[in-house]
Amino acid sequence: MFKSRVAIVSSKNAFTADNLPDPRVVLRLIRKGLELLAGQAAAEEYILSLIPPGSNLGLKINTIGRRALSTLPETAVAIGLWLGKTLGQEGRVVIWDRTNEELKDTGYKLSTSPETLRIFGTDNRGVGYQTDPVIHRNIGSLFSRIQAEMVNYSISLAILKDHGLAGVTAGLKNYFGAIHNPNKYHDTHCDPYVAELFDCPLVKNKHRLTIIDALKVQYHRGPSYHPQWAEKVQKFILSADPVAADVVGWKLIEELRARKGLPSLKEEGREPAYLFTAERLGLGQAQLENIEILEEEV
Amino acid sequence: MSAQINRRDFLKFSLVGSSLFLAGKTPAPSWPLFSSPPLSEGAELSWVEARYYEKLPDREIKCQLCPRFCQLGDKERGFCGVRENKDGRYYTLVYGKVASLNVDPIEKKPFFHFLPGSQALSLATAGCNLSCRFCQNWEISQMRPEQVRNINLPPEAVVTTAENQGCPVIAYTYSEPVIFYEFMYDTSLLARRKGLKNVVVSAGYINPQPLADLLKVVEAVKIDLKAFNQDFYHQYVRGELQPVLETIKQIAGSPVWLEIVYLVIPTLNDNPEEIRKMCRWLKTEIGPDYPLHFSRFHPMYLIKNLPPTPVSTLEKLRQIALEEGLHYVYVGNVPGHPGESTYCPNCGKLIIERYGYTINKIEISKGKCRFCGQKIAGVWS
Repeated sequence: MFKSRVAIVSSKNAFTADNLPDPRVVLRLIRKGLELLAGQAAAEEYILSLIPPGSNLGLKINTIGRRALSTLPETAVAIGLWLGKTLGQEGRVVIWDRTNEELKDTGYKLSTSPETLRIFGTDNRGVGYQTDPVIHRNIGSLFSRIQAEMVNYSISLAILKDHGLAGVTAGLKNYFGAIHNPNKYHDTHCDPYVAELFDCPLVKNKHRLTIIDALKVQYHRGPSYHPQWAEKVQKFILSADPVAADVVGWKLIEELRARKGLPSLKEEGREPAYLFTAERLGLGQAQLENIEILEEEV
Repeated sequence: MSAQINRRDFLKFSLVGSSLFLAGKTPAPSWPLFSSPPLSEGAELSWVEARYYEKLPDREIKCQLCPRFCQLGDKERGFCGVRENKDGRYYTLVYGKVASLNVDPIEKKPFFHFLPGSQALSLATAGCNLSCRFCQNWEISQMRPEQVRNINLPPEAVVTTAENQGCPVIAYTYSEPVIFYEFMYDTSLLARRKGLKNVVVSAGYINPQPLADLLKVVEAVKIDLKAFNQDFYHQYVRGELQPVLETIKQIAGSPVWLEIVYLVIPTLNDNPEEIRKMCRWLKTEIGPDYPLHFSRFHPMYLIKNLPPTPVSTLEKLRQIALEEGLHYVYVGNVPGHPGESTYCPNCGKLIIERYGYTINKIEISKGKCRFCGQKIAGVWS
């Protein structure tokens, strides 16, 4: 049986004295994670095997939790700059989310210059959503023109959180921020919508890598920020298998919950069933026995 | 999206809004508004505290407005996309944020037994608490307020606009008025004080208490009954049938006038036996006098693979409803069809002749058929 490979990289020093992610440590972690996925190859080689040089790459982040619980610029910009250098041109990488306001509130400085790393939201002037809905299985949505038209390849740089409805939000669900109507897809624990959205060609055919930011994890009562149930875990989870990456993220949340004496998501009746739907759709491995987890501390 | 709109933009914007509601080939005799009163521009969300919600621990809230009962954490929005929890308080984001504004004939709503021939200042905000795959107004109903152009039009300005335009009626319509409840309610209250009537065009997905309160300030409600089948509601509407049936009963039990529209979608909700069951239910539960409109579907939004409803299907369903004893059954979105007109349930004579949204003649006097004196249900003056 083919096993999907997932890397978990950690550091005891991922945060600075100001309680912010340390960009240098972040980059070391990401590079190590990519090397673990690659086997023998260097991180740069591995990226280039996934994404051809000269491509336009989207780095979809999650800023709904603003500064308290989002993919912070200290993390995403460090990764984006390195990816830009690896791919040959900074300006070919765009860090993006739904709105400029969310990005700014999270601490990002917007930029649309093609000469530098670009950072903007779908609501940026001249961007917006496509005008014809994509109809795919149960999905009927307008896609952000960033995902649909501006990038050839995509990395989901997601934040790991417990989610009251979905169970877990991580790399797959991050793409809810790529459509105009995510509020319509939270019924029935977001199942099958998370999986079916990812299965849309505009996502599935462009997605190359999941990077889950588990530096600080909301393991209970998410996705809103509740400091009493947020833990500094100081890890990243990386995989080319988007389902396996999320399953490992789920496992991490369950471990945190167990350690804190909380019931499992299954016991709370909200395990992320969409992951099994995603597996049935052929998007990746949802069974832990089919996932090879490589773990290393930096 | 920024709402930096000028008069020309708004004209265009309003025309787009208007064109959304053209179902047949005959242009609607409606016009967009682009003048009085001066329309202030406003992209900002309203952040007016919502009504009908429960505060929960840890800054969570539970919305009590509609049968979804969305339970939301901080910074989360409900299914409707226009109500948000911010630090444990729940806000409507669309209070006075109008996304479509037109003067329409009341027949376009459609209301056929409510002040026929009158003009209705018709407005909507973005958002909806359902997700119909066949939505005819999806460009506003399935959007968040940031994704459409909004104008600031608080309740006072709505009422003034209606007066200036000579509209005796304000219609809350196009998207789903339930989701802009606070705006609709406050506007209705003001309008009523000024002697204007308020009508609501809704799918009826609302909880009993907010509906009861609303029924105290409006004069008529049109309910879109999407099907008489829970599976259809689940699969194509993303809602439940039973709350809508309860809404229909609640309105019929109030002094507010009620009309029902059934959009007939080929192969999906046009089963004659199901329609017969629905008509029997209507007659038993609310009586035979509330108008029922069978409207023609046109391919739209996520259902583009089906043809427009054959007129023969609409005629067949109308015949079934008449056989089941409903008194006023119409064919909609087929301009010029005899089923657009009203016939006296006693003598059978033509008492309101319509062509599209135009009234050609009315043979009703003091609410009675001019030919036989039969009382005709409705609000006529």
